[in-house]
Amino acid sequence: MRTSRHALPRVSIRAFPAWAPWFFIAPFLAVFCVFTLWPLGRSLVLSFQQTYGPGTTEFVGFDNFEFMLRDPLFWKAARNTALFTCGSIFLQLPLALGLALLLNRSGIRGRAFFRLVFFSPSLVGLVFVGMLFALVFEKRTGLVNYTLHALIASFDPEFAWLQNYVLISLILAALWLYIGLNMVYFLAALQSVSRDLVEAASIDGANAWQRFRHIVLPEILPVAGLVVLMSIIGSFQLFELPWVLLNNTAGPDNRGLTLVMYLYQTGFLTGDLGYASAVGWVIALALAGIALLHRRTMRRRE
Amino acid sequence: MFPKRFAKLSFLSPGAWVILLVAVLSSLLVALAPVKPREGMPLWVFDQNHARTYTPIVQDWNQTHPDRPVDLKLIQFYALERRMLSGFMSGTPVADLIEAERMVAARSFAGPLDRVGFVDLTDRLKAEGLMEQINAPSFTLWTSRGRIFGLPHDVHPVLLAYRADLVEAAGIDMNQVETWDDFFRLLRPLMQDFDGDGRTDRYLLGGWSTNGPFAEMLLLQAGGRLFDEQEQPCLTLERNVEVLATLTTWFAGPKRMCTEAPEFSASGHRMRLEGVVVASLIPDWMTGQWKRELPGLSGKLKLLPVPAWEKGGRRTTVWGGTMLGVTRAAPDFEAAWAFAKRLYLAPELADALFEGVGILTPVKTHWSRPVFHRPDPFFSGQPLGTLLIEQAPHVPARPASPYGGLALDKLVAALVALHGYADRERRYTVEELKPEALRLLKIGQVELERQISRNRFLHR
Repeated sequence: MRTSRHALPRVSIRAFPAWAPWFFIAPFLAVFCVFTLWPLGRSLVLSFQQTYGPGTTEFVGFDNFEFMLRDPLFWKAARNTALFTCGSIFLQLPLALGLALLLNRSGIRGRAFFRLVFFSPSLVGLVFVGMLFALVFEKRTGLVNYTLHALIASFDPEFAWLQNYVLISLILAALWLYIGLNMVYFLAALQSVSRDLVEAASIDGANAWQRFRHIVLPEILPVAGLVVLMSIIGSFQLFELPWVLLNNTAGPDNRGLTLVMYLYQTGFLTGDLGYASAVGWVIALALAGIALLHRRTMRRRE
Repeated sequence: MFPKRFAKLSFLSPGAWVILLVAVLSSLLVALAPVKPREGMPLWVFDQNHARTYTPIVQDWNQTHPDRPVDLKLIQFYALERRMLSGFMSGTPVADLIEAERMVAARSFAGPLDRVGFVDLTDRLKAEGLMEQINAPSFTLWTSRGRIFGLPHDVHPVLLAYRADLVEAAGIDMNQVETWDDFFRLLRPLMQDFDGDGRTDRYLLGGWSTNGPFAEMLLLQAGGRLFDEQEQPCLTLERNVEVLATLTTWFAGPKRMCTEAPEFSASGHRMRLEGVVVASLIPDWMTGQWKRELPGLSGKLKLLPVPAWEKGGRRTTVWGGTMLGVTRAAPDFEAAWAFAKRLYLAPELADALFEGVGILTPVKTHWSRPVFHRPDPFFSGQPLGTLLIEQAPHVPARPASPYGGLALDKLVAALVALHGYADRERRYTVEELKPEALRLLKIGQVELERQISRNRFLHR
């Protein structure tokens, strides 16, 4: 093959045998098939079975799914997960966007420092945050009760946050952890908004809200959509944070029970692997449905 | 670029060929590497203190049995559980001997009896006289459908530890305490508001509605049960209703006598040190933990048999439990069984467990050993072992069930809900609370039965 001094060698696709691409992706495919596809298929089969190991298995048809429909604990877990998701979307994301808007303004001193401060909680793991907030919400000696009692003498230092307000405590812990991460996504999106457009709108007399509503928001909408989708997926997968925060339980009266926690409890604590697989597939299908809806909505907007 | 004679290979770059070669060679290396043969009899334990205590006996065994040495492995609690259950259910490698905590062991009883991964020891235990030698209640946790699958490690009787310095300074005579009513009545003057904010700053007992072990201990002590002899759930027993209603009167209302003092956290320890709680239920294993983690309490505590629910009633209860089982995978059952007995029946282990971690051996013949009857300076010179031994035969029996954890969850859910109901409706007497307690327990019972009825293999 002849090449000039300046041009890269041109390689025709015909130079490769037809199977070459498969060859390149073979390592990934092998790992994917063994560790993802096969277990997925097995779990689908398992969701129609009851089992105590391969030697003790019975096909039960849709029994596991029917039981799920009548299972109050499943619905409690679904309700808690939905509430947590709402908390993530309607509290966490607006606050993250607000922070991003604030830290995107050029006049603020120490902007980089504040960005780091807000982002830094997301560098630690969920387990760490769970343990940290378990201490923060402790009765009497916890930071919240200690401070509130010091400020307001009538506040009961024995107030049990993790008993009375389990979901709110969880949402607050997740807010502390994820607000900085979502802020970074919004900051990146905000920096791609045309300054010329914003300035032109200002000159035309648009106020701050009008500039945000008609210029900034449409520009950052694709990123916002992605952040919403990621928050929903993350919320549906919530497990470690409540598990650690509530000391390896679902909290009093299962007030902190999430769908994945319920899957874990049924599969690994109760040993009902077939039912746990069915729960897993329902979560997966729900997420797939949400992702499809999101995709369709974003396409329509485009 | 490839030399001309290798032109046919040029569909991959040299770098890609190197990667491919490394991948193939490393795969071959892994595939052809010789599998390390099992060395002796693997023994899995989950507790560091246990492992440390067993090491001298394992070493001694290995010297005297070089053909069947024991390979002691300390494995994290949840990892051991997963590996054990995977092995039992699907045949992945497991140890010959596994030391299992009660909830973990019970999970292995969820399948048909002939699929339990531990060897049925019932006939051996009877034939070798071990049933008489070992404290009877200690077997119940390892008994499923009438068959015993483990050698008991402990008894775990519970006593009441109280701040003797505070109690004696107030001139209270603890010898007059026989029942819980006596305890709360006599110690009531200790509940005080020190800072004048209108709130009590000292409570009589550490325990709360969310604390599952606390509720279970008191339920068992009172004669309540989560499961009957047929291992069927029985949450709605009249006794359970009474206990739940009574416990709620301890937690709820303006005159509550309990507070939450977590057993395994710094804040709970601080509350005990500062005297925010006067007394706590303490099983034998926790005495060792307190000695390590709360040296500031040394000499300030005294022990008392747990106050009874009624005069002449049971003065102890139980918390926790561990067993040693021989797995069906063990190629040489006789050797594994011989080691299990050598380890758990050894007098030196009984001494070491008690001195090291405060655990009382279930082997009754060892209870006369001097180590158990020495004064203990941590508990103001009281003989800890003697007090535990006096209560050991009266420890309540607990039928093993793979659904034990779930049943306890239901009990706690009912207790928490009843606590909320009492505060909401301002009902603070046992009689007022009993109807609601029964209603809540019925909900738990129904849910539990539904869950258990899904298991098609349990009673096969």
